[in-house]
Amino acid sequence: MKKSSILAAAILLIGIVIAVGSVSFLGPCVHEDGSFGACHWAGRAMLGIGVLMGLESIYALMSRDGAARSSALACMFLTALLGALTPGTLIDLCHMATMRCRAVMRPAMMILCSLAALISLIGCLTGLRKTGEKK
Amino acid sequence: MKTTMLAIKNILRKPGRTAALVMLTALLALSVFGGSVVVRSLRQGLNSLESRLGADIIVVPSSAQSKVSFQNMLLQGTTGAFYMDAENLNRVREVEGVEVAAPQIFLASLKADCCSVKIQVIGFDPETDFFVRPWIEQSYSKSLGELDVVVGSKVEANVGESIRIYDERCKVVGRLAATGTGLDTAVYCNMDTMKELLRAAEAKGVSHKVTSEDSDDQISAIYVKVKEGYDISQVNSRIQGHTRKASAVRTKSMLTDVSNSLAGISGTVTTLIAAVWILALVILLIVFAMIINERKREFAVFRLLGTSRRMLSGMILKESALCSLAGGILGVVLASVIVFPFTTLIETSLGLPYLRPPAGTILTLALTALGATVLIGSLAASIAAFRLSRVDPGTVLREGN
Repeated sequence: MKKSSILAAAILLIGIVIAVGSVSFLGPCVHEDGSFGACHWAGRAMLGIGVLMGLESIYALMSRDGAARSSALACMFLTALLGALTPGTLIDLCHMATMRCRAVMRPAMMILCSLAALISLIGCLTGLRKTGEKK
Repeated sequence: MKTTMLAIKNILRKPGRTAALVMLTALLALSVFGGSVVVRSLRQGLNSLESRLGADIIVVPSSAQSKVSFQNMLLQGTTGAFYMDAENLNRVREVEGVEVAAPQIFLASLKADCCSVKIQVIGFDPETDFFVRPWIEQSYSKSLGELDVVVGSKVEANVGESIRIYDERCKVVGRLAATGTGLDTAVYCNMDTMKELLRAAEAKGVSHKVTSEDSDDQISAIYVKVKEGYDISQVNSRIQGHTRKASAVRTKSMLTDVSNSLAGISGTVTTLIAAVWILALVILLIVFAMIINERKREFAVFRLLGTSRRMLSGMILKESALCSLAGGILGVVLASVIVFPFTTLIETSLGLPYLRPPAGTILTLALTALGATVLIGSLAASIAAFRLSRVDPGTVLREGN
């Protein structure tokens, strides 16, 4: 198994955790009155980002072309950056640090997305170097 | 230098074995660093609560005392709204031995416009207050105007923004330094603002009246400072006898409860760390014994090629020190990723004051964890190296044949 495939598989796993976690154990606050706060939509955005990250990693896993795989890894890097910035920066969260969205969702998503960004960056740079060597 | 390069090459030659050693030592560093940061944060939180309370006695309505709601409000930031007759303030001030008595009024917001969380609003009298004012003065030196509020460190509102409480727009004029207690989740205002908010709450159908129709006639707590030379217990008993439908609580007894809980948690964490370390030490001893046994022939060849026992032991120790160092760094990084971003979650789960220690202390704890990990790894390897030095290389090589 190629190193880039292992890295893509790791990002697939992270994407699944982000997507599943954003609607369950890492999800935003559940409002008692049934209303939706900003954090709910931040959670929904993370679901989309997790799914997108997963699809990109599946494409990277299936791709036989090194350049295409590197491009997919570059996309994953940008998606992961977007994910890290979504809760709290791009989409507002509840205004109390003790709320679930700030105490659980935000730090967890930032850690997962930072990890995905790091992995994808390593994969992308390694892939680009190999492609350059072949040429 | 040669043995160092040889040790590095040996480490890289067996990635699986190296990874196992690194993971094991990472677990050690993670447990000792993570555990010690949590315990130190709890101690820091207790110290912060001690210094923040300042009062010798706190008088609260009997209902608040029976429900332990006041203590929960201070420690966990749960909202509380309990009231007693304001006449109790004059009664407390008349008690012999009372130096200062400062009233506070509490109000729990229904729902802030930002989220579904209730916010604890604390109104204080700037003239007599010695509890909140010194704390506020660290971040806001002017006096609070009408509908001006100062927010605790955990309320995510910036200076200049406004927060809505019972449809009243309150301007945030300052943010307080973190105390690691429930006080960080509250919003502070003067008595005039509090009366406005109480009226707004009444208009929304949230009643806070005790006996009177006038909201001026009720308070939630009285913070008492006892004069020098007076026995706090005696003053406490006198206050208890003078007040109606109120309980006087010695802050020291409240802090003792917190301290006991903290001692319990510290003990559990320390036991867990000790258990992890003993287990890891035993595993490391077995692992190194197995590694040395597996590499017996390799070391015998080194001996026959002229490598001294001392050099050979040095090489084994360097291998183990390098693996332990890598594991230690990994463990400290993992613990940092787990403990620091989830500080609020840990604090709310424990329900105790929790304040992150200063960066210098954290760095010291990280270096201690790293040093201890390298030391324990080297100790386990040195035992194995000592056993190896006593083995005759010729016998080892003949055994193989």
